[in-house]
Amino acid sequence: MSDLHPPPIAPHVTDDELSAYLDAELAAPARQQLAAHLSVCPRCADRLSAFADLAADLGRLPSVAPEVDLTGVILGRLPPIVSPSRPTFWAGWRALLPVGIGATASVALGLALGAALFGTGAALPGVAAMQVFDPLPPGSLCLGVDSCYTRHANLTGVIR
Amino acid sequence: MDAKSDDAARDRALALAARGGDRQAFASLVRRHQARLFNFLLRLLGRREVAMDLTQDTFLKAWSALPDWQPAARFSTWLFQIGRNAAFDVLRRQQRIDFVSYDAGNPADEPGDSAPSPEQQYADRQRLRLLERALAALPAEQREILLLRELEDMSYAELAVTLGINEGTVKSRLARARAAALLHYRDYTGEHRDE
Repeated sequence: MSDLHPPPIAPHVTDDELSAYLDAELAAPARQQLAAHLSVCPRCADRLSAFADLAADLGRLPSVAPEVDLTGVILGRLPPIVSPSRPTFWAGWRALLPVGIGATASVALGLALGAALFGTGAALPGVAAMQVFDPLPPGSLCLGVDSCYTRHANLTGVIR
Repeated sequence: MDAKSDDAARDRALALAARGGDRQAFASLVRRHQARLFNFLLRLLGRREVAMDLTQDTFLKAWSALPDWQPAARFSTWLFQIGRNAAFDVLRRQQRIDFVSYDAGNPADEPGDSAPSPEQQYADRQRLRLLERALAALPAEQREILLLRELEDMSYAELAVTLGINEGTVKSRLARARAAALLHYRDYTGEHRDE
């Protein structure tokens, strides 16, 4: 009889296996094997029962809700949502448009000023106006021909 | 299609609309999930005002991150992932992994070994309070996995996504959490452990 030769009991099942068995997360072969063990091992069966009672009690814990509905508060704090759309080729160039306009305007202004000052050639200052910087003020006596005429002519390059 | 799948499909439709800028759709998502999220955060952190702030912050972060949300992912799992990450940021900042139950009772109120209550309802309430204390005594990582499994009914695959771990770790961490909760619970109730 079986009393004389009791079936050997496999080593006890680990908590990992019992817990997964309780959650129905074991594959079918492992599940069947464990079920067979539970039918002959009171210790593992008790352990599984304790886990099941704990799970049932945790499920009975009262749910605590916030005292106020947070919907209005949250909606009032929502920033504008950032669109996930990717920028197109032309959208990228459009972003550079203000910079391009500014650069073009700067160059144009520089060219206009340059043209106004030097573009016609007629705007070159007269030699007489530059003479205020000569070492000999206008009307002074020349100490020699070179000191007035030659040097003056070399400096300006206009009077020969 | 079961109720869980129906909820997921409804969430997905609302989240897609919200992602397009529909604030009313997002308001519906808030109404659908605020109580569960608050309950989870409260039981995880133990402080009502912190849970309240974090619930709001979680939804605000979810709104900003909606463009990154993948419709293949369950919205509630994604939302709880944001919430638990925010909660663990708080725990790290506060350098407190220990926890005080928001509803922890006075030890003087606890029933002793030889103090059986004549009222079954009273006994049940006391039992649940002791269970809350046992839950509060767990490390935060074990507490959160138990809450998500038992209160939110998450599968191991969903737990793995929410917690950012693999399913093998889910299995072992959940088993350790159950064993530890049972140990504390039996200590509080005075039950003998059958080791």
